[in-house]
Amino acid sequence: MSDIQYSGVRESKTGRINDLGTTGKEVEENFRKGCLKRADRSFAQGLQCQQINSMAALMSLEDSVFISHSPQGCVGCSIMAVDMYRVGQAHRGIKNIKNPRVMVTNIDQKSVVFGGEQKLRDSVKKAVERYNPKLAFIYASCASGIIGDDIDTIAGDLQQEYPDTLMVPIHCEGFKSKICASGFDAAFLAINKYILKKERVPKEVGLVNLFAPTTVSYADQKEMERMLSLIDGKANYIPFYSSLEKIRKIPAAQASTSICKVFADEFMKTLWEDYEIPYSHTVMPIGIRNTDKWYRGIAKVLGKEKEAEEIIAKEHERIEPLVAELKERLQGKRVFICGGTGRSFAAAALIDDFGMELVGLETPTYDEDAQTDIEYLNGIHENFIVDIANMQPFEQANLLSKLKPDAFIGVPEWAAKLGIPTTHVLDGKRPTMGYDGLLFLGNKIADQLQNPGFNVKLAQHVKLPYKDSWYQENAFKYIKGGN
Amino acid sequence: MSQIIENPRGGCVLAGINSVLGAIKRVCPVLHSGPGCCMQTTAAEQGQSGHKSSCFVSGVSLPSSNMLEKEVVFGGTEKLRTTIQGAIDIIDADAYFILTGCTAGIIGDDIVSVTQEFQDSGHEVYPIETPGFAGDSNLGYEIVWNTMIEQVIEENVPRDEKLVNIFGVVPYHDPFWSGTLEEIDRILSLLGLKVNTFFTKNQGIEDIKKCSGAALNIIVNPWLFNGPAKKFEQKFGVPSIRIPGLFIGATDTTKFIRTVAGVLNLDNKLVERVIELEEKYVYDYLSQAIGVVSWKRFAVVADASNAVGITRYLANDFSFTPVLVIISEPVFRPDDKERIIKQINDMEYAVPPKVVFTADQYEINQALLNEEKEITLLIGSSNDREVALEKDIQFILASFPMSERLIFNRTYAGYRGSLTFTEDLYDNL
Repeated sequence: MSDIQYSGVRESKTGRINDLGTTGKEVEENFRKGCLKRADRSFAQGLQCQQINSMAALMSLEDSVFISHSPQGCVGCSIMAVDMYRVGQAHRGIKNIKNPRVMVTNIDQKSVVFGGEQKLRDSVKKAVERYNPKLAFIYASCASGIIGDDIDTIAGDLQQEYPDTLMVPIHCEGFKSKICASGFDAAFLAINKYILKKERVPKEVGLVNLFAPTTVSYADQKEMERMLSLIDGKANYIPFYSSLEKIRKIPAAQASTSICKVFADEFMKTLWEDYEIPYSHTVMPIGIRNTDKWYRGIAKVLGKEKEAEEIIAKEHERIEPLVAELKERLQGKRVFICGGTGRSFAAAALIDDFGMELVGLETPTYDEDAQTDIEYLNGIHENFIVDIANMQPFEQANLLSKLKPDAFIGVPEWAAKLGIPTTHVLDGKRPTMGYDGLLFLGNKIADQLQNPGFNVKLAQHVKLPYKDSWYQENAFKYIKGGN
Repeated sequence: MSQIIENPRGGCVLAGINSVLGAIKRVCPVLHSGPGCCMQTTAAEQGQSGHKSSCFVSGVSLPSSNMLEKEVVFGGTEKLRTTIQGAIDIIDADAYFILTGCTAGIIGDDIVSVTQEFQDSGHEVYPIETPGFAGDSNLGYEIVWNTMIEQVIEENVPRDEKLVNIFGVVPYHDPFWSGTLEEIDRILSLLGLKVNTFFTKNQGIEDIKKCSGAALNIIVNPWLFNGPAKKFEQKFGVPSIRIPGLFIGATDTTKFIRTVAGVLNLDNKLVERVIELEEKYVYDYLSQAIGVVSWKRFAVVADASNAVGITRYLANDFSFTPVLVIISEPVFRPDDKERIIKQINDMEYAVPPKVVFTADQYEINQALLNEEKEITLLIGSSNDREVALEKDIQFILASFPMSERLIFNRTYAGYRGSLTFTEDLYDNL
């Protein structure tokens, strides 16, 4: 048991840093020597705040209302989760597709001066009267945090008033963290505190908590569930598209694992501490190596290593000839990768399956987990640039123009305008996970490389917003401190 | 004054300001705000507007001071200073606008003084002090134009009697904005006018600076742009006329042309020739598909301007039966509400529909579900599809927010847009 309760702010973990321009070799060595220090950018582009992640993580839960104690703009990004929820219902064969019930308290000038607590009470009251939900999630915002509205106390009062709706306040004030994944932790901390409450429930043999963020497609969910079922695991798929009942089942599980590396990783530790549920925290199951690793991880916890090895061998036999064909098309191509923590490293391992060469990697944070991945990548790839950045397209554009990779994997918008063939690994509507996901992605990359006409022509007509002089500068010019 | 809203349509005032500026060529907003405001504000408007977003800078490409705990406690002006400097150094923009997030607004950072330092050294940088919590994205549209009137538009520009400015069509908050502006431009150009749309045909900050030389401001919206129009007239002497709702189809578009022509004393022969040719163009097509689109009793959920346009076209020009119109944006002033209702009540033949004002999704759903008269067609936003599915009726996604279709230059406005709208009405079920 840890003595200090984790705050939910990812920066609070020692050794984790956010802003750095370096190389694979250099960062591995400096991390080992303990030389990496926190830095900052004196000029930066927009980040993703943690409130976005707290909302997205839960927005597909059944019988729930989502109350954002904020001005209207803070539910802007919820449209992405709303869209995924609607599409997710369509994929699951639901005909009458519903909207999630999102309420915004609409903090305004008056609230800023006199406090917005009454607006929050009124919002919850409205939501309960309208929907009689089982769950009411109450999200903090920068504004509610700074004006000092006490969402915990209000939630407590309202809990007395409305005993049939579980009130779950979530402390996801944007200014508290630079790492948006903190928002996942804030959501899980609240789930543990207000729903699970450290109460023990009878165990269910074979039940596995399978944590998945909204960006995992239904096809991927089915594939992960199928793989678990082959080693006698029954997935409790949460929180995407789940329910209060499924959340309440979390402590009954025999084991936990996650589809995303930075999703529920801290929560799985808490589940071990509070409910003694063992867990596997490995990698995102994309590509042969990572899928093997992910599968072995959970099989070990379930004591099904032998069975897993048999399945892995069989899958390899099936997949490897198909991958060999792709490898012929992709061997030796130089790649730049940009993505979230989980997907960027997963993609980096994936390109090894195809024999591609890594020239640059952009990922939001660096920590012990990243070190493990970098050690592995340094073993395969000669030399590559590492940009520890949450997007920062201006740095990316600068690096891409210098490195001139053959292919780009990640958010395509900027690389496409430079004429580079692009493939996105984040496709929440189509299959990307597991052994077969590899083929889908591989074909996508190979076809883009063969037929890059759209991006090539786009680059002839459209220019990124940066001055020509910027491309001559050091890409990491604005990173201050850290050395 | 902001109400509690379920499933709000669009973002805060910051979101509105950001998106309107994003629609102007080579203009760079710089956000002095929390770490999520760039994504949130872009997603709230551009992200729900048919999947088209500003090509220059939007979302995580926007320069931002990303205010964290340190700035909340100690102030963020130094961070703002280095952010503006960086933006000027690397982003190839014609003008930079410094926007205020809630955090900066609440702690009271003095963005005007910081901006002044850059203005003093010759950079085109303008502060906008309105913080996110001050209102919604419609207000953002007006704030941008107030800023332009106060800080950007030049005085003593020679009058051009053929030049008109178009206001009231809000970029991104109206998913059809660019197609609509293009159709308005096309029609007015046929009359020999020069048209400032500001957001299409590569117009930019230079066109805005000189727009005080226009002969007339044309506001295509039943209620927006009231304050800016007054300021515009006071400062630059340019009068405004209000077209109280988008014109869709031959009847209202012709009325629009005659109104503008009357105010500007345009050559009557030219005007009538344009009207004749354009109406003929529309009816040549309509006459080729008679009885193809089945008769409907319809409800509309949309912003006031589009709701007026859609309702009037379907009822007056297409002989569908209007049942219920829900104005799904907050409208507070009673005379604005009256003006909107008047447009919807003023039917040529049809019995006027019921009009409801609410921006709250639950109330919208209830109004649709509890309507006693039969509804067989619903025209609304992505948020309104749920009710259409529940009622098992035809649904057309035609208002903001719009997530399930990609929109480039499509419009339902004007003569040509009405044909596109009619195409979309076709339902072979």
